[in-house]
Amino acid sequence: MAGMEAEFIIVGSGVAGALVANELASAGKSVLMLEAGPRVPRWQTVERFRNQVDKTDFMAPYRSAPWAPHPEYGKFANDYLVFKGSHKFNSQYIRAVGGTTWHWAASCWRFLPNDFKIRSLYGVGRDWPIEYADLAPWYQHAEQELGVWGPDDEELGSPRDRAYPMSPLPLSYNDAQVKQRMNAHNPDWRVVTEPVARNSRPYDDRPTCCGNNNCMPICPIGAMYNGIVHVDKAEANGARLIENAVVNRIVSEGDRIVAVEYRDSLGEAHRIEGKTFILAANGIETPKLMLMSPGRHHPAGVGNRSDMVGRNLMDHPGTGVGFYADKPLWPGRGPQEMTSLIGFRDGPFRAEYAGKKLHLSNMSVVERATREVLGQNLEHDILTLNERIRDRAARYVEFNSFHELLPQPQNRIRPSATEKDASGIPRPEITYSIDDYVKKSAVHTRENYAEIARVMGGSEVTFSDEFAPNNHITGTTIMGESAEDSVVDKDCRTFDHPNLFIAGSSVMPTVGTANVTLTIAALALRLADRLIKEA
Amino acid sequence: MRLLRLSVMLSAPLLLWWVVSVLAQEVWDTAGATEVNTELNLPELIDKGRYLAIAGDCEACHTAPGGKLFAGGRAMEIPRLGTLYSSNITPDINVGIGGWSLREFDRALRRGIGKMGRNLYPAMPYEAYAKITDEDMRALYAYFLFGVQPVHDAVPANRIPKPLSARWPLKVWNWLFVDSEVYQPRPDQSDEWNRGAYLVQGLAHCGECHTPRGIAFQEKAYDETGRGFLSGGPVLDGWEAYNITPDPVSGIGKWSREQLTQYLETGHVNRLAQAGGPMAEAIENSLSKMRGSDIAAMVTYLRDIPPVAGEARAPRHQRGQPASEVIIKRGNPIAVDTHPADATKTSDGARLYLGMCASCHGVDGTGTPDGYYPSLVNNSTVGAESDHNLRQAVLYGVRRTVDGHKKMMPGFANQLSEQQYEKLVNYLRRTFAAPPGK
Repeated sequence: MAGMEAEFIIVGSGVAGALVANELASAGKSVLMLEAGPRVPRWQTVERFRNQVDKTDFMAPYRSAPWAPHPEYGKFANDYLVFKGSHKFNSQYIRAVGGTTWHWAASCWRFLPNDFKIRSLYGVGRDWPIEYADLAPWYQHAEQELGVWGPDDEELGSPRDRAYPMSPLPLSYNDAQVKQRMNAHNPDWRVVTEPVARNSRPYDDRPTCCGNNNCMPICPIGAMYNGIVHVDKAEANGARLIENAVVNRIVSEGDRIVAVEYRDSLGEAHRIEGKTFILAANGIETPKLMLMSPGRHHPAGVGNRSDMVGRNLMDHPGTGVGFYADKPLWPGRGPQEMTSLIGFRDGPFRAEYAGKKLHLSNMSVVERATREVLGQNLEHDILTLNERIRDRAARYVEFNSFHELLPQPQNRIRPSATEKDASGIPRPEITYSIDDYVKKSAVHTRENYAEIARVMGGSEVTFSDEFAPNNHITGTTIMGESAEDSVVDKDCRTFDHPNLFIAGSSVMPTVGTANVTLTIAALALRLADRLIKEA
Repeated sequence: MRLLRLSVMLSAPLLLWWVVSVLAQEVWDTAGATEVNTELNLPELIDKGRYLAIAGDCEACHTAPGGKLFAGGRAMEIPRLGTLYSSNITPDINVGIGGWSLREFDRALRRGIGKMGRNLYPAMPYEAYAKITDEDMRALYAYFLFGVQPVHDAVPANRIPKPLSARWPLKVWNWLFVDSEVYQPRPDQSDEWNRGAYLVQGLAHCGECHTPRGIAFQEKAYDETGRGFLSGGPVLDGWEAYNITPDPVSGIGKWSREQLTQYLETGHVNRLAQAGGPMAEAIENSLSKMRGSDIAAMVTYLRDIPPVAGEARAPRHQRGQPASEVIIKRGNPIAVDTHPADATKTSDGARLYLGMCASCHGVDGTGTPDGYYPSLVNNSTVGAESDHNLRQAVLYGVRRTVDGHKKMMPGFANQLSEQQYEKLVNYLRRTFAAPPGK
């Protein structure tokens, strides 16, 4: 494999890498994608999931390859991430061709215009070096590429020029009932239909959602967007992809990157040369790789003159609430998530505590209700048990939340000095703490959870106060105005290396108050456009 | 090359004169054609022609995928010949048919002779269009000249190997095989029957795909009096057109009038047949847009032509059993998990079915009760004597838009190895194409 080369080398084949690859390949460029994980066809993941007993373990159908581990918990725990600090950053991601969007809820929110300037407006966090208006056309493009449905009759706070590519499927009974009752009680909550990359009609040669209600861990029919869509498109347009290629070093000459080195599944070493390099290996593996690649001119790692590579790690720490409503709502019909409460995404309070978004779960809770009823060990006849399970599965309501964690240099990921994976590559070590900005907001969230439960006639209200990860791994190759405190500039180019670019969540200066994938996609498309214009 | 460019530059005034004279010629031509044909520029006649062009499905061949209406350029792989590109039939004066007279238009449609007297390749169904009445021909001509937007894009040249590119053998072929008569109504049949025969044999050109071909790729029969008419055609572009004679076993003799009508109008009758490939296109572009009375006439005729028996022992829509393998498979790990290092260990057909097909068609293959996801049991495509169309559907999917509603099944070519593909098709046939009572 020695001597292979391409004009553009892309490390990672998730939504960011695949979008860049497809745009470049469509423009006739020579493109090579390197993916650490294997290519797993959809049907295999579907069959693993269907065979799995515990349907709540979303990572169980995605077993990691020995040479490309990703974090696994529960039954298959592999302790891949090494935790330091007061909070565990027990995040999930997938190392496989197509990346982590194999399993997601497909939420495709645009950021709010104010999300780009929270430093100037509220005196916290960082401002982006670009504004909403700079990204708006790329949001539009991303919505078309991913195939997004969204409400055209509701104000979501992010101005748009054109209608969503698709109109939403009708809300599930659960979503419609909860939305109606909550908005009637408090219009400031603003429960709205969520924009998602899921088909409400055949779109981009993918079928209409048929409501399997297992978007996570896998859409069985491809009605929901997955990064594999653009991997396939990129390949059809002439891009090449090497799977099971674990890049372990970026090679530089002076300030230019000249090659990457990778090991294949058998541990054999290879070297790939190129003219332009794009790292798109997510917010943990991208900075890890950069820090693993010190050179004569950059002893602290590639792109790390600012010492910011791996720092400013962010996510959306989440809390939750569950209760039994006074009426059956039958969650579990249709997609797993269809509505969100957006009344707390922005406001002057952001100077004091985190903006946030709350979302209603529409996952089937039959399994949960069954375990619970059987676990109570009641002496009932079968019909009574059945009735009880039906009743509880029909009335259970669950809300979860995303709180905006601010960028803080001490929250960081670096290659472990002591712990290595099966191939001898350092494992990611993560130091992470959740500060009062989020904790204070979570108290406010809890008050609203209690009010929601009251409005819905809730009983047996249970709060999940421990912060849960939401896998929006951001900030670790942060974008900014200045080479002093940032890794990439507004075009996603590293300040230190003119031919090294970064695509993906790690460039985001703030994590905002909504799911990050659409912003990842918009930034990737914008980057691809720059690369094509420059080449 | 450089010398050439130099000489062109030196002769710029000459070039200018040439351009002006060509333009003048064009203006003159346009004026001439317009003057001759204004008597045909009548809204009613144009509307009639528009409908007939739909009935003739001119769009299917003369519009490239994603291209402009009737601008041609659609590639057609013709077995034993090469690649043909359909022509631009918009009224553009240079690259289209804007300069054609009614006589030339008529000659192309009926006899396959182009404006310059060259024979057209019989990919153009002129053997069928020969049946069109003079009155309908005038309407079609009026529509193409005055009802269609001219498109100035030229189409690519045909790719035919040299020895085959001579056109004179086509004259011989035409003399041998083509019977160019306008449809003659049969006095012993009803008006509806005759209308149906006129459409089926002529504009709808059903026989183009559904009638068997002879040794020179000619259709063996052009109407119900010929042997084998509509008894099933060759495999074209991977798709096979079935026997649609009223034979109860090999044809559609067991379809009710209502079922056949619904199929032609929508391409979908649950537990009977779903149209894919070229038939889906014919329904989308043509049949679904035709008048109810014309569909009724075609149904009357199709149900009355001589039945032709084939080799099938049971009707293709009456085969198969619901699958039951899910009970065995669920809870057992898939082969790749049991033998991660052994690439030759691939899952069996039942497993592939469950992973790829069952989410829509159901674990037992009976689809949804409303038929939105069709049953694979009692399914003409799965149960047909040959598996060509099933293979096309598995690899490339099915797409069909009727009345603004798009139905689609994705293709699975990307997800299947050669070995898995064979196992899956084998399983589908074994389960859902099993003879009844087995």
